[in-house]
Amino acid sequence: MALRPFRAARRALESMARGPYVALVGAATVFVAVFATGLFAGALGGAERLLESWAGEVRVSVYLAPGADLERARAAAAALAPGRRVEAVPSEVALSRLADSLGEQAHVLEGVGPGALPDAVEIDAPGLSLEGARELAARLRSVPGADDVDYGTAWLEGLERLVARARTAAFFLFGALALATAILVSNTLRLAVFARREEIEIMKLVGATDAFVATPFLIEGLLQGLLGAGAAVIALVGVHGLLVPRLAAAVSAARALTLADTLPPALVLALVGGGAGIGLLGSALSVARALRRT
Amino acid sequence: MIQLFHVTKEYPGDGPALQEVSLEIDKGEFVFLTGASGAGKSTLLKLIFCDEPASAGQLLLFGKNVAKISGSAIPFVRRNIGVVFQDFKLLANRTVAENVALPLEVRGLAQKEIRRKVRGLLRSVGLEHRADKFPPSLSGGEQQRVAVARALAPDPALLLADEPTGNLDPERTLEVMDLLYGANARGTTVVVATHDRSLLERYKKRVVVLQAGRLLSDGDSVRRAVS
Repeated sequence: MALRPFRAARRALESMARGPYVALVGAATVFVAVFATGLFAGALGGAERLLESWAGEVRVSVYLAPGADLERARAAAAALAPGRRVEAVPSEVALSRLADSLGEQAHVLEGVGPGALPDAVEIDAPGLSLEGARELAARLRSVPGADDVDYGTAWLEGLERLVARARTAAFFLFGALALATAILVSNTLRLAVFARREEIEIMKLVGATDAFVATPFLIEGLLQGLLGAGAAVIALVGVHGLLVPRLAAAVSAARALTLADTLPPALVLALVGGGAGIGLLGSALSVARALRRT
Repeated sequence: MIQLFHVTKEYPGDGPALQEVSLEIDKGEFVFLTGASGAGKSTLLKLIFCDEPASAGQLLLFGKNVAKISGSAIPFVRRNIGVVFQDFKLLANRTVAENVALPLEVRGLAQKEIRRKVRGLLRSVGLEHRADKFPPSLSGGEQQRVAVARALAPDPALLLADEPTGNLDPERTLEVMDLLYGANARGTTVVVATHDRSLLERYKKRVVVLQAGRLLSDGDSVRRAVS
């Protein structure tokens, strides 16, 4: 007998309409799992994008001790960072730049003398990784008269460490999450199958094959997975819309974050596909168990 | 159609439900299977229906050794068998028409053909006007008539009925028995498990008596059987 997928799909939709609560519980379970996974993956993607955007504007500053020879220091820095744009920034220029950056608040600098800020040498190194910036900064400490070298902000270093750890943990975390979700969904769907064990028994009594009995359950699992995963993706878009403007207000680099960074199409496909797959797998495990018992 | 050779059925931790039963039922026969509760009537029907395997002996169904039928082939064997249960086994959340249609859907019939057959079947059991009702809203007699209509839907070669009138009053009992009798008249082999003596006396058909899992008597003599 042909399986007649359309008829099986119709039976699946009819059963979901008859028991919407059970179908919703299944979809909600997939939602929670996909949302948690998507949130983690999205945060990781966003953090990586932040690090990349920081790398696009790396600037290392060598602050000189009072009395140091600025031109000599610039030449030494140029030799240590070949191919990079190296600029000597005298104290008065640094003060003027600071005043420009303060805009209307520049009046707070009234009374600050020209020697208040140290002379500095600035090296632009776009595209350099944080590790590369660290190495360059270490080399630049040997610049004659160098007092301090600044190459970034502490929070970015913390973020980089976190991302590196998260990347390592991601493989295990995703594996554990997928397993836990499959078990959770399987148990939820098992309740759905259990609620309809009499129907399964009667179907088998009237000569239904296992495939005939199982197909609508599998379609139901698939639909619940798609429903839960679809809702989770919509929720993740909402979270992006809520969080990114707040993050951008606190960290300027976050302004570059787009939906494609935190929720790229490949991730959306993986989440929806994963949700559907988990729904299908959970349903298959439950119905196989039920069929063995009838 | 059905041949049993020294069939025994034992359940773990329990005594034998059937012992050394040998029996032959031909095509087109109407057979009552009777005996006290626990005599082995339902167990015998389960073996014939391929619901459980025999512990020993041989059971041939439609000329095939049941023990050699693979699990995946059992649904196809069952499609030649209609079963009526004492507790009806109807799906409460499906309409009367959908319940009767179930075995036809399983066979993959076209929807138009299913609707036509279901209408005819419900008319034959006098429930055409109840097609869109759900089983819990029907009386016991009506539910059993739905169960009979479902069992007869695929025109089975064999109809098994396990205490089909056990929950019915005398009037409804006769209605259901007349349906089974009518199916037999149209060529279906019918095996009815019952402990209702009045049925044996009324229908005067072959009576197989089981006692404590053993075949006590087999024949046309109702008086001998019921005594």
